[in-house]
Amino acid sequence: MDLTRRALRAAAARPRVLPAALPGGTPARLEAERLLRLRDWPVAATPAGADLLLVTGPDCPALHDPLARLWGDLPAPRARVHAATAAEVASALDTGRERLAAWSGRGSGAQGHAGGNDRVQEPPEGGGGHAHGQADDGDTGTGMPMPGGLPMAETGPDRDGLALDRLHLALGPFLCDWPTGLTVRLVLQGDVVQEAVCEDPAAPGGTPFWSGPWLRAAAGEPVTAGAAARHRAAATCDSLGRLLAVAGWPEQAVAARRLRDGLLAGAPAGALRGPADRLARRVGRSRVLAWLTRGIGRVDGGRTGGSAPAGPPGADGDATDRYRRWLDRLGRDVRHLDDPAPLDPYATESPRGPWEPAHPPSAALLALLPALLVGAELAAARLIVAGLDPDPEELAGAGVAPRG
Amino acid sequence: MVERGPWWTVAAAPLLLAALAALAVAADALLAARGAGRPVTLTAAARPFLALPRALVAGPRRLPAPDLLLWRAGVVTVPVAAVLSTLVIPFGNTVVADPSVGVVWFNAMEVTTWAALWLAGWGPNAAFSLIGGYRFLAQGLAYELPLMFALIAAATGAESLRVGDIAAAQQGLWYAVWMPVAFAAHLAGVLAFSFLGPFAHPAGRDAAGGVLGELSGPDRLLLQAGRWLWLASGAAMAVPLFLGGGAGPGLPAWAWSLVKTLLVLALLVVAARRLPVVRPDRYVELAWVVLVPLTILQVLVPALVVLGR
Repeated sequence: MDLTRRALRAAAARPRVLPAALPGGTPARLEAERLLRLRDWPVAATPAGADLLLVTGPDCPALHDPLARLWGDLPAPRARVHAATAAEVASALDTGRERLAAWSGRGSGAQGHAGGNDRVQEPPEGGGGHAHGQADDGDTGTGMPMPGGLPMAETGPDRDGLALDRLHLALGPFLCDWPTGLTVRLVLQGDVVQEAVCEDPAAPGGTPFWSGPWLRAAAGEPVTAGAAARHRAAATCDSLGRLLAVAGWPEQAVAARRLRDGLLAGAPAGALRGPADRLARRVGRSRVLAWLTRGIGRVDGGRTGGSAPAGPPGADGDATDRYRRWLDRLGRDVRHLDDPAPLDPYATESPRGPWEPAHPPSAALLALLPALLVGAELAAARLIVAGLDPDPEELAGAGVAPRG
Repeated sequence: MVERGPWWTVAAAPLLLAALAALAVAADALLAARGAGRPVTLTAAARPFLALPRALVAGPRRLPAPDLLLWRAGVVTVPVAAVLSTLVIPFGNTVVADPSVGVVWFNAMEVTTWAALWLAGWGPNAAFSLIGGYRFLAQGLAYELPLMFALIAAATGAESLRVGDIAAAQQGLWYAVWMPVAFAAHLAGVLAFSFLGPFAHPAGRDAAGGVLGELSGPDRLLLQAGRWLWLASGAAMAVPLFLGGGAGPGLPAWAWSLVKTLLVLALLVVAARRLPVVRPDRYVELAWVVLVPLTILQVLVPALVVLGR
């Protein structure tokens, strides 16, 4: 029908995109986020709210199944595109839009498939997360027919000694504003985390993007301190963008990501200082944000002492302390963007902490997660992960890291 | 004086409400475009409305064992309750219905969002969605009492629950001026029952969209529209309750109502972007320890004034 075709074309002018970032594809993810912001294509949080599945990064066989489940969950009309590198993102987005505009219901095999029975398995992609207990095969062995063939939740004692339903929920590997490739399996009662297990992140291979200058400097390549400061500032902005998005402050999350894109595009230092200072002022001095994050994810980094889990000095304190340190460091970094001195990779802190080839800083942050997550509410758990923002790529890069 | 309008106002009120909500959406889109470094143009303001054709062509979506009836009931109730709430809000000197308990009617419609959003979270049988539904209940515990005391403060000042009487009782001095706490509590309540801005926790990005997470097509459009309709309705209600209704020099009463409503709406749209999400686990403490006592004291002020008359 002509009306349908016109409606399809109109809707395709602003597709809602579900980004799925594969490990090792950080530049492609960053380019995608930049283009989506400039084109005003909203980023969907779940398959249900999306038209276009945008996969970024090199192909990763280990994640084929979760990707297929995400794709199966997208309602029609829908399109799926893959950009392996940053250069392919723009054309992939254009292709996606064209496919949506010309969608006919055939060929893509979508209609009636969306959200099919593959959903019954416990979906680890985080977009869905259906509310059931142990989802093994949908058969509880009692012979009783279960609604939708789904097993009932089992119960367990909660923090108040009550027997409450236990909900098995996986966060990641594809979840908005979440470290790429990370999967954390949770057992929830209500929205309180009872158990948390970090899975080994999917291995991308290759050099981790954010600690690249440190690895190159350690390998003997000439890297200036200014270039490293720019890279670290961009990494800080990327982490801040995630934290602010998770904290529900889209306005400042966009500001942080704009600054990140400017840093990576090589904008002159003079043009970046203003936005960086504005971000530090609005976010760093926000009493509301400090009140909301105070006491969340408290880590004993050897400075405070107390009963909190021990962690690296860089993670000391609570979420508020950590993002304020990020902002301080960002303020310092944007003043050293033109520093021509060579980078000493062991004296200068890498984005996630002091760089050690055998023990990348993200490994320590990841190791901290389970102890911090248990007992937290889901919202606090998300803030804890975003506030530490471990980079799983560093772990995969650790094996190939050269010794200095 | 506020009088009941002719029959066609029953159709005009929802249209006016929808127009106000659309303006709020457009203003929000413009602010978002400016923040993201996109050109601030009319096109940028109109782009959110591409969700309308998108909803028309959306295909069905199957989920394992959803509670379709309750889910849909919850989703539909939010915008419907928003529209029904406007029946008692005077526009200028005209109101669709002028019951003697208009304030209670508005409050009752607003409280239905509690049930509606919980059902919208429960229906799809998904963890994040359910968490979103529960989040609204927790949020309700925090915002509802201060909001009720704010409404009661205005009603006490006018010695009437009729919205038109409350507007008329503010001859000379707006309630917003001598009941600022009640006015602020009302505005916070409006953002809370619209679950927008600092109160967007039930649809939070940290829970993958919460109550919105599993919605697609027309259902998604309805619930999203419901949020903005409630924002517009709450802004319109603030005018007779706290800003003297259609009273003002020079212009006709309907024009004053419109100007005041637009100003309140603009204030809410800007405020919604300025603050991070205030999680109920923190807000409940503030609400019960600070806001509830403050708003009770606020009710005491007009009560004493009325007794002393």
